Amino acid sequence: MKDSFWFPIVFMLIIVIIFAGILSVMYRTSQPKIEAYQQETYQKLILGTVAAKLAEVTGETQQIIMDSYPESYQTHVQELDIPGLERRAFRAVVADSTIAYCFEIGGKGLWGTMQALVSTSTDFRTILDLALVSQQETPGLGARIEEDWFLAQFRNRLFVINPESDTDVTGSYEFIAETQVPENDGQLKRVTGATITSDAVLKMLRDEMNHIYNYLRNKSL
Amino acid sequence: MTKKEIFLTAAFKENSIWRQILGICSALAVTNLMMNSLIMGLGVIFSLALANFSISIIRFWTPRSVRMMVQTLIIAAYVIIVDIFLKANMPEISKQLGPYVGLIITNCILMGRAEAFASQNNPLDSMVDGIGAGVGYTLVLLVISFFRELFGFGSVFGIKVFGAWWTNWSIMVMAPSAFFLLAILIWIINTHYYKVKA
Repeated sequence: MKDSFWFPIVFMLIIVIIFAGILSVMYRTSQPKIEAYQQETYQKLILGTVAAKLAEVTGETQQIIMDSYPESYQTHVQELDIPGLERRAFRAVVADSTIAYCFEIGGKGLWGTMQALVSTSTDFRTILDLALVSQQETPGLGARIEEDWFLAQFRNRLFVINPESDTDVTGSYEFIAETQVPENDGQLKRVTGATITSDAVLKMLRDEMNHIYNYLRNKSL
Repeated sequence: MTKKEIFLTAAFKENSIWRQILGICSALAVTNLMMNSLIMGLGVIFSLALANFSISIIRFWTPRSVRMMVQTLIIAAYVIIVDIFLKANMPEISKQLGPYVGLIITNCILMGRAEAFASQNNPLDSMVDGIGAGVGYTLVLLVISFFRELFGFGSVFGIKVFGAWWTNWSIMVMAPSAFFLLAILIWIINTHYYKVKA
């Protein structure tokens, strides 16, 4: 019977149905939990990128703002619908006035696409904070771009056009070795063994921030 | 063979990495940090044990012409089950394991044990063999990653061991070091354990 023409086909079909069925049931039952966790993680990342600014304006500490999620998120974060921008956008509000914006940005890494959330000043020129949503870089090497010391280098940094000289200041940013001490404000430390990934983060920020700035600078939100 | 003998044979005597040179790709890729290696090892042990068990149960009905397709399907299904379970119930661990789940499906050890053992032995023995092979694989990963993390980052399981005086060896966090260390490990084991002479 095992050597007949139809048996392997029927057998394979049965195995596929059994295992695909098990996976479908498992996925269906787990889906709400997975989606709820993903939403919570995403919202916490947004809140995290604007927490420092919220703390500065409200007088509360960042820790209190983060600990009071989801209330703090519902009170201070609003999603914006900006036609044509093609990026998710949010604003942080305190007493009806906007204190910062947050955008979902993307770029190409060494192995795949990267997604990040970047909060900006209300003139869209300065990065307030940065958080990575997803990346597919090499674990232990490129994936270390998620580490706080690396991301912190971009905080409170002018990233679009220098208002005084009207020039793109990002051109002067350069990477130095992780172990080196920066000699001036334009030097950033790269992740050891991940030159391409470090450069990709800088390129993503430069391209995306300039795109957002040029798209929104003459628009009222 | 007793269950203990099956376990010890799979884990040490016929270790998948140093004896059969299987699963090398992932052994080289994930051993730059000990935590990565441990998580990868646990994922392999779980998937290997259950895949072996299932493949053994259906071994009398599995036609030879489609056996490898069946084995691949079962292995992939268990790895996806692990992935979904972790995403829903242990999201933090899932985040760390994320990049490695796909690698478990392509791990040669799983197909190797399914073909060499599970398709010819009873389900319980096959499960013990799977656990043994997984433990052997995990131990090798941990040994290699211990040296790579220690010299590459000055830490063990993320805990700093060397002080500020230590200069990290960049070569140890890059792929070539895994080749050197694995070769040295196989040489030591061949010389001292199997008494192989050059």
